[in-house]
Amino acid sequence: MTAVQNAGPLIRLAALSKHYGTHLVLDQIDLEVVKGEVLAIIGPSGSGKSTLLRCINYLEVPDGGLITVGPTTIDATRAASRSELSGLRRRVGMVFQSFNLFPHMTVLRNVSLAQERVLGRTRRDADERSMQLLKRVGLADKAGQYPVRCSGGQQQRIAIARSLALDPEVMLFDEPTSALDPELGLEVLAVMRELAESGMTMIVVTHEMGFAENVSDTVMIMADGKIVEKGPSAQVMRNPQQERTKRFLRAVHDR
Amino acid sequence: MIPTYDELVSWLPELLSGLSISLQVTALSLALGIPCGLVLALGVLAKGKGTRILALFLVEVGRGAPALVLLQFIYFGLPGTGLTLGSFSAAVIALAWNTGAYTSEIIRASLQSIAHGQREAAVSIGLNRFDELRYVLLPQGLRVALPALLGFSILIFQGTSLCFTIALPELVSRAYEIGSTTFRYFPALLAAGVLYACISIPASLLVSHVEKRAGSHAQR
Repeated sequence: MTAVQNAGPLIRLAALSKHYGTHLVLDQIDLEVVKGEVLAIIGPSGSGKSTLLRCINYLEVPDGGLITVGPTTIDATRAASRSELSGLRRRVGMVFQSFNLFPHMTVLRNVSLAQERVLGRTRRDADERSMQLLKRVGLADKAGQYPVRCSGGQQQRIAIARSLALDPEVMLFDEPTSALDPELGLEVLAVMRELAESGMTMIVVTHEMGFAENVSDTVMIMADGKIVEKGPSAQVMRNPQQERTKRFLRAVHDR
Repeated sequence: MIPTYDELVSWLPELLSGLSISLQVTALSLALGIPCGLVLALGVLAKGKGTRILALFLVEVGRGAPALVLLQFIYFGLPGTGLTLGSFSAAVIALAWNTGAYTSEIIRASLQSIAHGQREAAVSIGLNRFDELRYVLLPQGLRVALPALLGFSILIFQGTSLCFTIALPELVSRAYEIGSTTFRYFPALLAAGVLYACISIPASLLVSHVEKRAGSHAQR
């Protein structure tokens, strides 16, 4: 929860931009996230939140700008090499709105696969680590099951374990609870809160205002591809400065 | 019109050995053709333009030309270029090409039917392109493709009857031979037809069984 301010930013985006055709999705975004920081990105649909998140691990290719994660910097104006991309993706874990577990593998294989193929661990070591992670998200008893036998909330917790298995330096969450009913969302949020408290650097695109206010260190509001406001979570959520932020939060609270 | 019992007994060894050649040609064509289909499917989906054009050329010729034309071309046409093949090899090559071309489309469509999120998940956990295919896309895609591939295999089995035109002693050739020596064409061909059915009908039943089970990993 407490960000280490003196370590320099772990993630730095400089003048990041992205178009879909003539539509400007990200307009010269500058952003720094320090190690241990939990950043919540909120804002209306179509504001570019998810695109921004997906650019950080290059699932979307930006048109311009610089992306730095740890020691890797990628210049979006030229084609990224395979080794740059794999370096980037090893440092960055991603959790999707729709979980995207591999349906033809058991829960354990889902978590172990990348450890064996990417980190070169033996199956035994990988499975051992996977069991620790499954225990951490409270699902050790599901190891031998197929994902379809698990509820949405359980699947999302498994997806979190799958990402953690690569020991990432930062975890990206793309609306991790939006496909879940409120109760199942809660169990995912509990895992995310535990992760935040353990010091993981996290960037979370979310509509969960409680998470933004109570768990994250920093909140950022986006609209029309721009950062409208960014600051300590309590300040942005309780005392926003920008008219656009006030309007968005009012709409959220009036529901 | 119907073969007598005695006729059947005397023809059967001949017909069964023909059937055995038909089955051998089928098995070899599939064993060579389906892996080719996989390679062609990946070629058609490849990023490189040269690869894509070559793969598309092989697929479009293999699907565009009737199997009969491919057979004739390889058996009668290729010797003109100095390459002479026996009727068995020519049959296998022609039908394997045909198989490769058709199954590549089946496999390509199956791979493309896998949800986009599966690719994204594979990429985001750092799998390279090869591992992504091997562990994530192919196991799911081939499961989708399996019923169609099996269905196509039955067509290739029936297609081996075309090899009659390049003097391969398969089932139809044998029946025709019997006809020409006994003038009992219809009963001989009828017996051959029954033998085709003995393989094709159980195979079709198997396909519909597999079809019901395919994708049931989602409910395991």
